[in-house]
Amino acid sequence: MIDIVVHPNIYYFASIVLFLIGFYILLTHPNLIKKVIGLNVMDSAIFFFFVAVGFVSDGGSPIVEAGSEALTVNPVPSGLMLTGIVVSVSVTAFALAIIIKVYQHYGTINVEEIYVVRSEREC
Amino acid sequence: MKNISFNKLFSFSLVSLLGVLLLISFYDISNLEVTLSLSEHYINYGVEETGAINLVTAILFDYRAFDTIGEATVIFTAASIVALILPQHEASMLKTEFTPIVHQSIAFILPFFWVISIFLIAYGHLSPGGGFSGGVIISAMSILIIFTYGFHYMTRRFNVTRLSLIEDFGALLFLSIGVFGLIYGGSFLANSQAGVYLGNPGELLSGGLMPLSNLAVGAKVGTGLSIIFISLTRED
Repeated sequence: MIDIVVHPNIYYFASIVLFLIGFYILLTHPNLIKKVIGLNVMDSAIFFFFVAVGFVSDGGSPIVEAGSEALTVNPVPSGLMLTGIVVSVSVTAFALAIIIKVYQHYGTINVEEIYVVRSEREC
Repeated sequence: MKNISFNKLFSFSLVSLLGVLLLISFYDISNLEVTLSLSEHYINYGVEETGAINLVTAILFDYRAFDTIGEATVIFTAASIVALILPQHEASMLKTEFTPIVHQSIAFILPFFWVISIFLIAYGHLSPGGGFSGGVIISAMSILIIFTYGFHYMTRRFNVTRLSLIEDFGALLFLSIGVFGLIYGGSFLANSQAGVYLGNPGELLSGGLMPLSNLAVGAKVGTGLSIIFISLTRED
């Protein structure tokens, strides 16, 4: 039997990796919708990080029954992340609306093609 | 072609640099000395101070209710802007016809969606859930209706004017709860500080004004996200 030693900060490392994946998508993909998807992956990494900060090993959900002394996870990061999720959804909706307008104006949602169309229109 | 690969290499090195920086800063984070006095106060005194046994709801709708009103405003702003800048026609991608099996099964599922969303909103202070999750399920219902029965059915049954009326009702209800706290001698959105009767923690009618504010946020989030989706599916 092999003992798998898990580093105590493994959740934080996983969220860092997720964040970097989202950042890489945001930087390299020329498609605007894929850029929004990358932004959402970065958002998920932040949510994951905060929930991991609030996690207590063997802790249950933060619902306190009367008189019980059960260990619960920290409710503050979860409450914060509800705000974060709402803001993330609103930003995504707004970005998609802007992308629809960009498509109507330029006929494409590829950033490099938008540069080409724009330079042609200026000439 | 060469330009693109150079671009990708540059982005990759930038991302790896950021990754190394983050790894260095987070390597020892679990040994950090932090004071958790705020969380301990919430966990130890949350139930007797707010009357809600779900501590996340206690934080969202009692201690930090002012932030929740900000969140609701963010959704309201997003819904208004998306409805404002997008044109008013049906999207061409939504003209797919589904078989009767899909229509029947969606019609069968929808009542259960109503039940789970109302349950999540009404029991928000007792069990996992709350106004936000219940509202998201309501908006998922409207997305299902648009995709299966078509855009016109949805706008005939629940048109945007009626939905925004419900959204305004939610916003006004939440604001009047806040003003109620002011009238009863507390701060804005005060619940237990204003001396509202809290009830027995664990019962359905407990937590003072918390079920009402859950209802307000649920109505607001559900209709706000529905309006966002309806506006996004319109197209020239």
